[in-house]
Amino acid sequence: MPEHDVLVIGAGLAGQRAALAAAEEGASVGIISKVHPVRSHSNAAQGGINAALNPEDSWESHAFDTVKGSDYLGDQDAIEIMCREAPDELLHLEHIGVTFHRNEEGKMGTRAFGGASAARTYYVADITGQAILHVLYEQLMKHDEVHRYEEWFTTSLVQDDKGNVAGAITRNIRDGSMELFRAKAVILASGGNGQVYNPTTNALICTGDGIAMAYRLGAPLMDMEMVQYHPTTLQGNGLLITEGARGEGAHLYNANGERFMEKYAPNKMELASRDVVSRAEQTEINEGRGFPDGTVALDITVVPRKRIHEALREIVNVGRDFAGVDITTEPIHIKPGNHYVMGGVKTDTEGKTHIPGLYAAGEVACVSVHGGNRLGANSLLDTLIFGRRAGQDAAKRAHSIAQPAASETQLADEQAMIEGIIRRDKESGRRVSEVKAELGKIMDEHVAVFRDEAGLRVALEVVKELKEHAKNVYVDDKGTVFNQDVLGAIELQFMLENAEAIVISALERKESRGAQFRTDFPERNDEEWLKHITVATGGGGPELDYSEVTLTQWEPEERTY
Amino acid sequence: MKVAYWPGCVSRGFTPELHGSVAKVAPMLDIELEELDRANCCGAGVIAEHSQELADTLNARTFALAQDVDGAAGMMNICSTCQGAQSECQERLDADTDYRSHVNGHLKPEGLSYEKAGDWWNKNFLWLLVEEIGLDAVRERVVRPLEGLRVAPFYGCYIVRPTKRLGFDEHPDRDTYIEQLLAALGATPVDYAGKHKCCGFPVITMAKHTSLRQAGSQIADALDADADCMVTPCPLCHLNLDLQQPDAAKYVERDLGMPVLHLPQLVGLALGLEPKELGMNKHVIGTKDVQRKIAELAAA
Amino acid sequence: MADYTLKLRRFDPESGKAAYWEDFGVDLPPERSVLDGILQARSRDDGSIAIRCSCQAAICGSCAVRINGKTALACNTKLGEAQDMARSRRGREEITVEPMGNFPVLKDLVVDMDAVHWKKVQRVVPWLLPEGDPPEREYIVPAEAMIDITQSMACIQCGACVGACLSLEADPEFIGPAALAKAYRFIGDPRDGQHEERLKDLAEDPHGLYDCTHCFACVEVCPKDVAPMNQIMRLRRMATSDYEIKDKNSGYGHEKAFVNLIEKYGTLHESQLLPRSYGQGSLIRSQVDPSSLKQLTASLPTVIGGLKSGKVSPVKALIHHKLPDQKQIRRIFHEIESEDERLELNLYIVGEEATEEEGAMAEGKGSET
Repeated sequence: MPEHDVLVIGAGLAGQRAALAAAEEGASVGIISKVHPVRSHSNAAQGGINAALNPEDSWESHAFDTVKGSDYLGDQDAIEIMCREAPDELLHLEHIGVTFHRNEEGKMGTRAFGGASAARTYYVADITGQAILHVLYEQLMKHDEVHRYEEWFTTSLVQDDKGNVAGAITRNIRDGSMELFRAKAVILASGGNGQVYNPTTNALICTGDGIAMAYRLGAPLMDMEMVQYHPTTLQGNGLLITEGARGEGAHLYNANGERFMEKYAPNKMELASRDVVSRAEQTEINEGRGFPDGTVALDITVVPRKRIHEALREIVNVGRDFAGVDITTEPIHIKPGNHYVMGGVKTDTEGKTHIPGLYAAGEVACVSVHGGNRLGANSLLDTLIFGRRAGQDAAKRAHSIAQPAASETQLADEQAMIEGIIRRDKESGRRVSEVKAELGKIMDEHVAVFRDEAGLRVALEVVKELKEHAKNVYVDDKGTVFNQDVLGAIELQFMLENAEAIVISALERKESRGAQFRTDFPERNDEEWLKHITVATGGGGPELDYSEVTLTQWEPEERTY
Repeated sequence: MKVAYWPGCVSRGFTPELHGSVAKVAPMLDIELEELDRANCCGAGVIAEHSQELADTLNARTFALAQDVDGAAGMMNICSTCQGAQSECQERLDADTDYRSHVNGHLKPEGLSYEKAGDWWNKNFLWLLVEEIGLDAVRERVVRPLEGLRVAPFYGCYIVRPTKRLGFDEHPDRDTYIEQLLAALGATPVDYAGKHKCCGFPVITMAKHTSLRQAGSQIADALDADADCMVTPCPLCHLNLDLQQPDAAKYVERDLGMPVLHLPQLVGLALGLEPKELGMNKHVIGTKDVQRKIAELAAA
Repeated sequence: MADYTLKLRRFDPESGKAAYWEDFGVDLPPERSVLDGILQARSRDDGSIAIRCSCQAAICGSCAVRINGKTALACNTKLGEAQDMARSRRGREEITVEPMGNFPVLKDLVVDMDAVHWKKVQRVVPWLLPEGDPPEREYIVPAEAMIDITQSMACIQCGACVGACLSLEADPEFIGPAALAKAYRFIGDPRDGQHEERLKDLAEDPHGLYDCTHCFACVEVCPKDVAPMNQIMRLRRMATSDYEIKDKNSGYGHEKAFVNLIEKYGTLHESQLLPRSYGQGSLIRSQVDPSSLKQLTASLPTVIGGLKSGKVSPVKALIHHKLPDQKQIRRIFHEIESEDERLELNLYIVGEEATEEEGAMAEGKGSET
């Protein structure tokens, strides 16, 4: 039975950063991931990472942009921490080997990004997330005191009888064996929940596991209605075209050849915040000025060819391989698509959740630094800053307490749960893939860029119904080795918890702010709704509550770009 | 068709039978050869390993000499390795004007210059036969169809990879040309695992274990597929497959004894030339069984 | 009738049965991926089909398999193209999908990456080893250097090159293309302080730098244009030219011998290549240095075989003709070798010149100078 001071669940940027930070504080660390760490979805962050590192820039300016981007729903104390600590974190990454783009003086160079008043996005071509992820993994390979459990799937968290987190139950995907991992602190770093939607830019692994596991333990989720639709995704498969393309100068056109952002954001144009650009595109499409396939055009040909080659290579590949378009010579059709959840497990600025010993960092968490809308290139920063802080605080906790008692009954329960799924036969219910497809469709239809009460009610009904179906899904794979089928059934239940929290929060917020646009409440209403919505499991199901937004130095004002 | 002809180093050194065979076979296919006797080694990838600019300059020099041959349709080589090494250099030279003029600067004292031109080509004998001469024309000239002869093609890495550089976009089936040619000659192509694999020659001095295990395995695969012989358009592959075969046998721990023919030798046989004229008595692994089969064909 | 038939290689380690082929019909348009096809088969017909996959966008590196015998990511191979390939290459309709070569198979299309790939990556000491304490701000390094190693940073560790590597097939101990490309990521990084030690380590390993047979298999299959073999060649260039590492595998000697022979004769003089290679480029040294002598003697049976067969003429073995204008070759050698900086054109970085019109214009400019 593995035992560690600190157990990290998820090995993307937040998880690896947390593990390394905790180890540096002298804690014994285990890091568990259902995929090999370099397969984590942090890979997909293309454009870059924000930091006010340039002497002419200031962290206050970065923070204000973030606050404004969040539509004033972000907690300003957390935003201040993130933006203040960003330059040092960036230098740390550079020192351990990230190959950041250099300017002619050999210093790190920047590119422009949406919603930012200065060019403060540092990058590695358009593989920034991948480059950082792989460099952190280099450090993990170096630090063999961090125990890696690669391809282990966590099914639930464990508490002692006083309510402290005491570990997790995990299944070794390679042989189907299950273990109770004991730990004094558990850090959830398991990422977002984009798979709740279809299409999505998110990888198949983004099923909101950590959000659901914390929720089941009673930890409140916050800002769950705030789901970001990225302005430039491919129609059909949802693949991402980086905001870096617009950062490098690309334009958006409707089918009439009009550069429509003039109407919606005359100053920032294509580099307004993502919620604004996505809404503008969807309006054009809805009002009949899009292309017949429900898209608008992104024209990257205005970017010099050499620059495309050097800075947007991945997008050239994506265009060629997945859309059959040579982006260096012709525009590519794009539309808004599900991309990121601003909400997640509510934490403080040390990553602590409401459950003692349980931490969360990265997309699984909601600190909240993104509020109603995340700025591009702030997500990598979020994972690293709060991953590190959670790792440090968890190590501190581990030094101060004894190993909590964790009973093995839960291990037996989880084993039985999985056996139960495997034993079901075809007559017992539906296929996992069927239920999942239905969920993705309904969420994209009714809980997307524009929402209203009627649509949200429909979505809620369907989600509730699917939750019932998920209890009886059957799987074909009866084996133990790499039984991905049974894991899919567990993930489905995680996803449905996420979906329910998203929909009821969206129903609750009767205003339009950030990513939430209610056609039945089209205005922002600071008087009533300048507050976070939280969801937690009560006795009979989800219970809603509110939490104050922390304001420090920026009073809410009208938001224009 | 007149071509500027680059025979390469090995065909005039360790595998003279190849050079001789091409000299005999070419006129029979109406290929007029103007040998580039001033041209230098292609570098076989080793010079590029030492200095890319040097390799590119040396090959630009060869291309320039070829472009100066009056009335030549293009340049022909008879070695997969030459093809690969030269294509690599040509790719760079063609990709960047500044780089090309820099390289041409080194050739100026000789009055030479490589000019990028869309229709100028450098093709291996195999490609030339299929794409320029045409398999129908070859078929028409066959006087001794090699019926019943089971031949295992061995291409050599440099002529099949990387496909992007080697013109596969335009000619997607360049990695099946030997089979097509064999069919035209009346022989039976043998399918086996090793045909596009590596002979191991490039590391024979540095990693003999790897080199000869590769040679031995590919030969063994051909043997298991009941081939009478192997055929290759690459004299370097020939060195590892034929000259080194007795040694390679030890690395795969089995008897081999597989005759390995140069592609032009096989073409020559079908066109009616005698094994001896084609230097088939100069191989390390005897070609008697193949010769006997050919003789039987002639008798029949 | 389904749009496509996927012939999947199935293996269940718990069944006690050998691997077998199973056909699945797939209904999808030609531009969808082979992975989409496999996922459709998994959701419609058999949920027990095992394949690692996640991003579906050629970024996470999970889904490298062999499609019609060629290693590729299932997510960026289109069904239509795969079927065309099956028809033209193999003369059949079904698209075959099987696990990568050079790896033990765990189940169906899932291979043991740890046992091969990650073990080899770990072998090259895959983390930055800077000299001394880091600077207060960032390291100041040339922009080109960072762009240069971006090519090897672009590696997604999918293992396609490892699965296709022909040296590895013959020598499972070979460090392999992915790990060596990873090594270049540090040796090409000006911030790393152990370039020479790293190069020495890789050059001296009998399964290291000089165990690559230059077969281009890795270049051909890499989905990210990392061109691992090119990185290996650059490592060799640095080991021999920049650090003059005289390795016991004769890598240094082979290169020196080859280059010197061309400089001297213009064409290759094979009978001198072997002895010179073992003598670190020198013909004399090869005959006095005991270790070179041993290597040379070991290769003698081959040479004698060549002489006996009549293919290697004893006269030729001693005399090699110089090219008529060999002095031009020497001049070129001298000009290039005496340049201050080594000029390398990496098409990954600079790309090919733009459109034909632009090319024609540039061409005009070029010939004026």
